[in-house]
Amino acid sequence: MIYALLNIAMLAAPPVFAWMIHNYLRHGDLSGRRKAVFLGVYIVLMNVILFAASWLRGVKTLDFNQMTVTYRLKWIGLGIVLGFVLPFFVCLLTEEQITLGGFRRYILRFTSDIRRYFPYAMQSARADLESEVSGSYLNWLWWLIEPVCMMLIYAVIFGVIFSASEPYFTVFIFIGLTMWGFFSRNVSASVDIVRGSRDIITRIYMPKFVLLLSKMLVNGFKALVSFCVVICMMIVYRVPVTARMLWAIPVLAVLFLFTFGVGTIMMHYGVYVSDLGYITGIVLQMLSYFTGTFYSLANRIPAPFGEILEQFNPVAFLIAAFRNAMLYGKSPAIPILLLWTFVSVVLVALGAFTVYSNENAYVKVI
Amino acid sequence: MEEFALEVKDVSISYRILNNVSIRKTLFHRRTRNEIFEAVKHVSFAVKPGGILGIIGQNGSGKSTLLRSIAGVFAPNEGTIDLHGHNISLMALGVGFKANLTGRQNILLSGMLMGFSRQEITDRMPEIVAFADIGDFIDRPVRTYSSGMHSKLAFSITAMLETDIMLVDEVLSVGDEQFQRKSLAKMRQLITDESRTVLIVSHNINTLQELCGQVLWMHAGEARELGEPAKVLKDYTEFMAG
Repeated sequence: MIYALLNIAMLAAPPVFAWMIHNYLRHGDLSGRRKAVFLGVYIVLMNVILFAASWLRGVKTLDFNQMTVTYRLKWIGLGIVLGFVLPFFVCLLTEEQITLGGFRRYILRFTSDIRRYFPYAMQSARADLESEVSGSYLNWLWWLIEPVCMMLIYAVIFGVIFSASEPYFTVFIFIGLTMWGFFSRNVSASVDIVRGSRDIITRIYMPKFVLLLSKMLVNGFKALVSFCVVICMMIVYRVPVTARMLWAIPVLAVLFLFTFGVGTIMMHYGVYVSDLGYITGIVLQMLSYFTGTFYSLANRIPAPFGEILEQFNPVAFLIAAFRNAMLYGKSPAIPILLLWTFVSVVLVALGAFTVYSNENAYVKVI
Repeated sequence: MEEFALEVKDVSISYRILNNVSIRKTLFHRRTRNEIFEAVKHVSFAVKPGGILGIIGQNGSGKSTLLRSIAGVFAPNEGTIDLHGHNISLMALGVGFKANLTGRQNILLSGMLMGFSRQEITDRMPEIVAFADIGDFIDRPVRTYSSGMHSKLAFSITAMLETDIMLVDEVLSVGDEQFQRKSLAKMRQLITDESRTVLIVSHNINTLQELCGQVLWMHAGEARELGEPAKVLKDYTEFMAG
């Protein structure tokens, strides 16, 4: 019974996902019949590509009776990633409104807007940081105290009570908390960001993702303070210094891109769906346990699942890669890192495109 | 010299009224009707460089929507707005400030959004602060301001950071009596500057009569009359009386 369901999910979920992305790209102005045709196209196309991938990896038959759960999960995971990317190419080939020239125009507009409004985002972030601390007694020390206290709590609970055994456990937790905090804070903030900036955006034009960018700079600065604490702790624990530590930089860059991509998309829906904030909160809370913020997914979750989760949950992968580079002197899996870089770029493109084509309406709705 | 500083051609702006979808609503009520409300219908006009256009009309006749659209807050649904490369600023009551930041920081941010560089703004900062004349409050968070101080600061920013085209939305009566006199004088000086193009939305017939070279009367989203101030204003007063 469960396997039958899993079979269906395996063959149907990725194409349906890709099909949803396709409809999203076309802004729902496809006719019902065309939609049905595309669903068919995606079911065939996605499964052919996935089977081809499996063929290349050496599994040359689809035998449902002998299939392992790992294989099925990998199939679905890869399918979802592919589902993000494939619709772009399908749209390019089949829809006359979406063209390479159009993409180029959007890219040019995006880069020129970033260049033009970055000083504003920077200044706004700086002013926000200043105003956040100017009223409090311990002022900027809070940026240090808060993460250090959180780390102590988790270190006591998981290190002593549940006796976790990862080497350099405190630093390990601290890295997880900082990176996950950066992601989840930005995503949950992005939901209300357009409504919250009502006063400004009804008076003057700016590309709406600049609001998110400024928020990310604020959170990014706080994360940097935490990383300074990480470095101090690494010196205290005498973590060996290796050249592989440099991998931390591209890993953080990908995290930034990925967060920006997810944030822009959430920002768009946040304008229209007034109670999205609650759902985001719940989903983020759940995801934080699937991300291994304070334990190692690969070591703690039973054999095949932990590793699969670590590869197909981008934030988990990035956190693990960062920890491996900084603490254990290991390089990340480069193909997977490249894959997630690519997916992040696609997400940013999707998000920027959505925000650009709807920002006119935002001002009228709020 | 080009013929027009600002050209508005056949502009229509409509709102789709579909605010606030909640998840419960989308799950249990399929497809709510989207009402479309046309705020501005096929309005065209052009203003020469240095010209002053007044816009008058009842509340809800689309004046502010049109102004915001010219300022670029949202694009029109139909028609074109051509600024011929001029920079533009919208001066409205209570310009968007960030409540937790101080007056000074808000000056810097508003200026940067209007397209000025950091250097230009810091150069003008003393002037702006002096003109706003709100004392020590300039270094306190904007949320502590009274509404009068709020508009004084807003006025000073747009008045001191001069742009080629200024859009003025009923700000001629800002603050206390003393500031009103000062701001009116400053407005006159800005408006009568040969190179500056100005659009004013106001209900004050005397002001429009005095300042404008042209007046546009908007009624229910349409341009009802466009021409000499004396004639348009007279027709408008008669219409309002009757």
